[in-house]
Amino acid sequence: MTSAADVGVRDTRAARDVREAHASPDPAARHGRRRRRDQRRQRLAAWAAIIVLGLFGLFPIYWMLVTALTPNELAFQFPPQLVPSEPTLSHFVDFFDDPTLLRFLFNSALVATLTAVLTLAVATLMGYSFSKFRYRGRASLMYLVLSSQMFPHALLLITLFMMYSSLGLLYTYAGVVLSFSAFTLPLCVWIMKSFFDTVPDSLLEAGALDGAPRWRILISIVLPLAKPGLLAAGLFAFVRGWNDFIFALTLAGPEKMTLPPGLVNTYLGEFQTSWPALMAASLVVSLPVVVVFISLQRYLVGGMVAGSVRE
Amino acid sequence: MTTVDSQARSARSGRTSLGKPLSGTAFALLLAAPGVALFLGIILYPLLASLVNSLYRQSLVLPGREFVGLENFGDVLGGDLLPVLRNTIVFTAGSTVIPFLIGLSLALALNQRMRGSAVLRGALLMPWIIPSVVASFLWLWIFNANYGVLNGLLVRAGVLDSGAVWLGDPSTAMLAVIIAKSWASFPWIMVMLLAGLQTVPADLMEAAEVDGAGAIRRFFAITLPHLKGVVGIVVLLEVIWNFHHFDIIWVLTGGGPAGSTTTFAVDVYRTAFRGFDVGSAAAMGVFWMIILTLLVVVYLRVMERGERR
Repeated sequence: MTSAADVGVRDTRAARDVREAHASPDPAARHGRRRRRDQRRQRLAAWAAIIVLGLFGLFPIYWMLVTALTPNELAFQFPPQLVPSEPTLSHFVDFFDDPTLLRFLFNSALVATLTAVLTLAVATLMGYSFSKFRYRGRASLMYLVLSSQMFPHALLLITLFMMYSSLGLLYTYAGVVLSFSAFTLPLCVWIMKSFFDTVPDSLLEAGALDGAPRWRILISIVLPLAKPGLLAAGLFAFVRGWNDFIFALTLAGPEKMTLPPGLVNTYLGEFQTSWPALMAASLVVSLPVVVVFISLQRYLVGGMVAGSVRE
Repeated sequence: MTTVDSQARSARSGRTSLGKPLSGTAFALLLAAPGVALFLGIILYPLLASLVNSLYRQSLVLPGREFVGLENFGDVLGGDLLPVLRNTIVFTAGSTVIPFLIGLSLALALNQRMRGSAVLRGALLMPWIIPSVVASFLWLWIFNANYGVLNGLLVRAGVLDSGAVWLGDPSTAMLAVIIAKSWASFPWIMVMLLAGLQTVPADLMEAAEVDGAGAIRRFFAITLPHLKGVVGIVVLLEVIWNFHHFDIIWVLTGGGPAGSTTTFAVDVYRTAFRGFDVGSAAAMGVFWMIILTLLVVVYLRVMERGERR
């Protein structure tokens, strides 16, 4: 087995040519050839998958960009042009000239930021409690919170709507932020917990022996070590708040509405949807989350995996 | 400082109780309290109260309600329950299987570490990162019957004589919705499976390769057994999420045409927030919750097993 591996790895073209010329009966050489052919085939399959599926994944994004740059007259043409002949930025200019859309944009930024701050504060405390303490009911509480991200939103929105309207929270920023936070909480708690799990208990004990109060141990010893977790959880909460549709659609009302439901109400249901304008607006909504995600991929993917799959 | 009992507990869990045991628990509960309050107030109470609503006739916007017993359940059973259940199952199955196969193929391909695969992996995350509403707009535009690019390409290639009404035809609407949803969720599956592939020992693969095991044989004999845990959780979560997915269906079809894409989420939302009929929506929701609860229990079992390991 070892010799075959050596042949496979260190095989040179010259050696192979010589062996092939002599039609060597050496099984190790046959193995090496088969392995190379196998690897070539594997690469070919990989490339085929990447091209076909990559096209499926990325063409719609390309199409959003193309449409957003197409002047209205050319967008309503069949069959459509795959490359814009007269690109224009006018739809983006129009977006930033529209006071209603700008208000939605402001609402989105405000609500998503507040959601991130509130969720992070609550999730940090809860995640710390789950990670570093053992008490009766802890496991049940953990799984109850974890399972809550799977409750059907449409159903509990019914009571939430009526509850908010009697509490005066309907159509307020506070109401929207509270609902976003509650639904982002499970994932963020899970992310924070898995980061706290990696902080060694001996550090906490050392702090306790020095006589530091409990909250001080959390703030000055544990939190600085969990910075990547804070970043991942905070960004997740921001993105969830920014991207949410059903809660903002139902609980925010026309004045406090965020961009996703705002765009639905503005553009769909018209007699003829202005697709280039809608695609430009879609790009504007998508850009912040895409930039955040791509630039911080390392933290987020780690957090995401930690949040969903326990290693 | 610590009692024998708490020391024993610490030994079992591999952790210390951090100082005085009693106040430690109090502190821990205090830490968890804001999260518990948020959870009870915004999620658990509304959910349970919504279920109780199924026993009343009640309007969403008018005060007062009347106890009607199981009448709402009778209406739902004799009405839309079966088609809604069927649509939900079709949507869930399609939107789980298709993105899973796409995500798995891409994960295996990108795991070959070819040049540029990191960049491609980043770019392919986009469909999942962008707001679901944007994904919906995008596919609404692609499937557009008059000016859509899908019809454009198919007509130009000679596959179709004239454009199809993808979202307006009950026979194609569900497939179109499933494709849009699959597009939005395959990147997450891809990333999770890529992470899972890192746990496949490279030397084991190498050894099998040297022993002459082909790529397909290696996939089933080595890769798949190592991925089992991740695959289980990914599939289960996708099933649960698809089972209550709302956004893309609502924007693309609103449940139409002729109710052909009306799933539980769409039906409950429309009945409550367009028809203002809280009782019927809640009765439908009870059936929905029963199935979801079973799925979530399975999920928690799987997670618990992972936690104990």
